[in-house]
Amino acid sequence: MSEALITILRSSLAIMTPLLLAATGGLFTELSGMLNIALEGLMLIGAFASIVGTALTGNPLFGILIGISGTVAVAALLGFVTLYLKSNVFITGLATNLFASGITVVLAFHLFGNKGVVVFETVQSLPRWDLPLLRDIPIISDLFNHHHVLVYLSWILLILASWVLYRTPFGMRLRAAGLHEKTLISLGLQPKRYRFIAFLISGLSCALAGAILSLNLGAFVPNITSGKGWIALVVIFLGHRRPLGLFFAALLFGFADAFSNYAQGLWNIPADFILAIPYLFTLLVMILLSVYTSRKSKFD
Amino acid sequence: MYEPQRLRRYGIQPVLRNSLGSALIVAIALFFLVLLAVLLSDTPGTTLRYFFLGPLQNTYSFGNMLNAAIPLIFGGLGISLAMRAGSFNLGGEGQLYGGAFAATIAAISWSSWGLLGGIAAVVVGALVGGVLAGFSGLLRMKWNTNELITSFLLSNVVVLIINYLIAGPYQDPETNLIATRSIPEFMRFTRILEPSNLSTGFYGALIAVLLVHVYLYHTKSGYELRMVGLNTMFARYGGINALWYRVWPMMLSGALYGLGGAVAIFGTYYTSMREFLLGMGYNGLAVALIARFRPAMVIPAALFFAYIESGARSAMMHSDVTFEIASIVQAVVFFLVTSKVFQTIGTHRRRS
Repeated sequence: MSEALITILRSSLAIMTPLLLAATGGLFTELSGMLNIALEGLMLIGAFASIVGTALTGNPLFGILIGISGTVAVAALLGFVTLYLKSNVFITGLATNLFASGITVVLAFHLFGNKGVVVFETVQSLPRWDLPLLRDIPIISDLFNHHHVLVYLSWILLILASWVLYRTPFGMRLRAAGLHEKTLISLGLQPKRYRFIAFLISGLSCALAGAILSLNLGAFVPNITSGKGWIALVVIFLGHRRPLGLFFAALLFGFADAFSNYAQGLWNIPADFILAIPYLFTLLVMILLSVYTSRKSKFD
Repeated sequence: MYEPQRLRRYGIQPVLRNSLGSALIVAIALFFLVLLAVLLSDTPGTTLRYFFLGPLQNTYSFGNMLNAAIPLIFGGLGISLAMRAGSFNLGGEGQLYGGAFAATIAAISWSSWGLLGGIAAVVVGALVGGVLAGFSGLLRMKWNTNELITSFLLSNVVVLIINYLIAGPYQDPETNLIATRSIPEFMRFTRILEPSNLSTGFYGALIAVLLVHVYLYHTKSGYELRMVGLNTMFARYGGINALWYRVWPMMLSGALYGLGGAVAIFGTYYTSMREFLLGMGYNGLAVALIARFRPAMVIPAALFFAYIESGARSAMMHSDVTFEIASIVQAVVFFLVTSKVFQTIGTHRRRS
């Protein structure tokens, strides 16, 4: 394998992590029957609360815990308004995104007197893991070793998520809420409750996804998520709402991103085009996927 | 009371059915505003006074508030049209920006044509918006691609490409702004409330409301459009070309956004600046939701949104809070505006 390809693949794995994390949580809401477009806003809250928490406590673990509590609180608000005040989930999701972009800037301005980039010099980047198992295998080690902690955690969480969703009563009931909620009601169970918990889970995973963005940068930038939450949503659709599918869909985006970063270094492509590539790529995949599905349904 | 079939699937129900529920939503949003002012401002009284009275205190701010409502009216109309047909246009940002940019470039290159060039430029702006949204409609028609997602994605691509064009090939070398050259003076709309920015474009927005209303409720095509939105199968059974109404309403929707962008150029900005209309596309969606996709109600809904934004701007200038408190207040409205619990608040007593 050429050096360049290894570099690209390696950074694909790093870039895909926030997408995969957000998508894993989003899978819960999606399977419970809720179109959760709030992933973007939840990630933004997570990014902000994590880095502010880390700066305050001096410890990334506590910082991330603060990030999680803040994000889950907003997710709970979203779930409450959507499910118990019976609002349209799309609009409340939009409200969450609007709220997140507003509150982070307002708080940054209030706390640090700055509406732009807030740099936290005391915050160290996430610790990297050296896995002894992989250390001596040539290509595998280059690809999979020495990533930061949350990269590995995202894989563990994905496995955990698929176990919960497909092997536990809770997961099956949650999926039943999305597939056929009357079944749940006939069993005397509340679909709402499962959807609410799904929102909380999406909050948890988006907090981690956001934490990666801000902690790796050591700074908070307004709108630091820059569409990643939306891409996570597309990852869910593209991955056919299955855990393994999610992984490869996220990898595809990671690869597209990593490749465009690499290409920028080679051919000096304008930065705006680089930013556009993930969206364009998603659009193309969406179109191809729908062409494929509509062909298939014609033959069936 | 009917609502488009697809929207019912999304759970969108008639919004603000009764005045009690909507009054409560506004009250809660304003409560949050007061709370934010008390928490974040050292001088909450001043902040709130400028927030509420700032937009109304003189012709300058009042006119600017009306002016800020213009793109919201166009966007609100665009969303309403698509929603009525059961299509979801989430690409307003790109269509607005694209329309504005295309109109600017067209106006500059056709300045020798006189007023005709100006008119052609406005049409080009509408066309660009229409084609962008129509593309998503076409995809839905041909392969059932989710137009909500494709329009959003396409819009993001368009915004970034135009960002590049404005900062790169089309940048005006004579200014320090990241902006294109300005459109010729004779093409600009007349100001109608000096010294504010309000221009005759406001009349254009009102005419657009009237036209969309007439189209939706008093023409055959508008009837068919609503029919498809209500029940596609039934519409097809009735001989309506339902596939066409996957594309056409999206085109109209995008064209209205593009028109909104063009009007913003000819009436207010005269040049395309980098990301100058950002956020307006989503606010158009909010406006349409509050208006329950009824063209006539788009005007008060747009004014409400413009009022909150101008209030925040005025509070920012005269006090110690930042402009983004507006988006928090808007978010509160968004959170509650489709709530069925809030809609039934006034009707409860009658039922029991």
